[in-house]
Amino acid sequence: MILATLLAETPALPLHTAGKYVAGAYIVLFALVLIYVAIMAIRLSRIERDLGELLSMSASSPASSPEGEGEHAPRTTTAGAEHDEHTQDSQDPQPESTLA
Amino acid sequence: MYGKGLRTLSIATAVALTASLSLVFFYAPLEAEQGFLQKIFYVHVPLAIIALCGFVLGGLLAIQHLRTRDPRWDMRSYVVIHMSLIFAVGTLITGSIWAKGSWGHWWVWSEPTLVSFLIIFLLYATYQPLRFAIEDPERQARYASVFAITAGAFVPMNFIAVRLSTAYLHPRVLGSTSNLPGPMALTFLISLLALSLLFATLCKYELTAKHTRAQLRALRRRLSGETSAPTRPRSAAPSLHHVTPRARAARGSAL
Repeated sequence: MILATLLAETPALPLHTAGKYVAGAYIVLFALVLIYVAIMAIRLSRIERDLGELLSMSASSPASSPEGEGEHAPRTTTAGAEHDEHTQDSQDPQPESTLA
Repeated sequence: MYGKGLRTLSIATAVALTASLSLVFFYAPLEAEQGFLQKIFYVHVPLAIIALCGFVLGGLLAIQHLRTRDPRWDMRSYVVIHMSLIFAVGTLITGSIWAKGSWGHWWVWSEPTLVSFLIIFLLYATYQPLRFAIEDPERQARYASVFAITAGAFVPMNFIAVRLSTAYLHPRVLGSTSNLPGPMALTFLISLLALSLLFATLCKYELTAKHTRAQLRALRRRLSGETSAPTRPRSAAPSLHHVTPRARAARGSAL
């Protein structure tokens, strides 16, 4: 319905010389957002890699409980750490400040 | 905590951007003088408005940082200014494209609006190098806040000065001389809303990513048994490590 109304109001798009400038301007906006998303994707993959390292670090840590060994061991330790972070977050939204 | 509401905001941004583009190309009438070229207006002007408002907001957040000495305000100020700078790049590029199509030149040095915006952009382009030049995180945050406040105050002053200027080619969009017809005004407002939402989403996204990395670093230190304060490489990005006693007391009283 809305689309039909919009299309009814549609002016003929004059794709003469102005078309390339308009396309260029909108492509610039799109490209900026795309570049930003790409940078964020790289950062996300770095976070994922760090998280993997931490997971393996927690698995080899002596703090791991004996009953939690095996495939659940990393989860146990990390879950504990996550809980600590969460608790800290609820009290102090900035974890590093209290840990530092 | 920064990620809360990010999904809703992202969906709202996607919907608003789609609606905005639909209105621009299927609803807004063609302008009598410039014709199809005027469609750039719906992306260029909102980008400029949001970038300038973002610079002012960065200054306001910096005031909050200096008042509380809480590094989270510095982080917010940094992210908002960083994002405004990206939007300013978009404004300059789309503006140049529009100028080329409309006036036949990529840049007109005698036009106060263009030059004043470039001055503001170049002023804020020094923000990151300034931060990077200072190694001590606390001093870096303090100096950056002073810069953000001073530069933030310069933005409206600059805007008023340009408005008072008489000789200009650049059209006035907002104010008593604005004569946008209803459909164009509606399209412009929706575009402004959509790009504002995009700005807010990207800021929130950036804050969430930075906070997550800070949490990961904290967790890494805890697992490796480090108790001393972390050492970090020199960076322009704010550090969340340092918390002054004043900020800690303010936080305690807030809780």
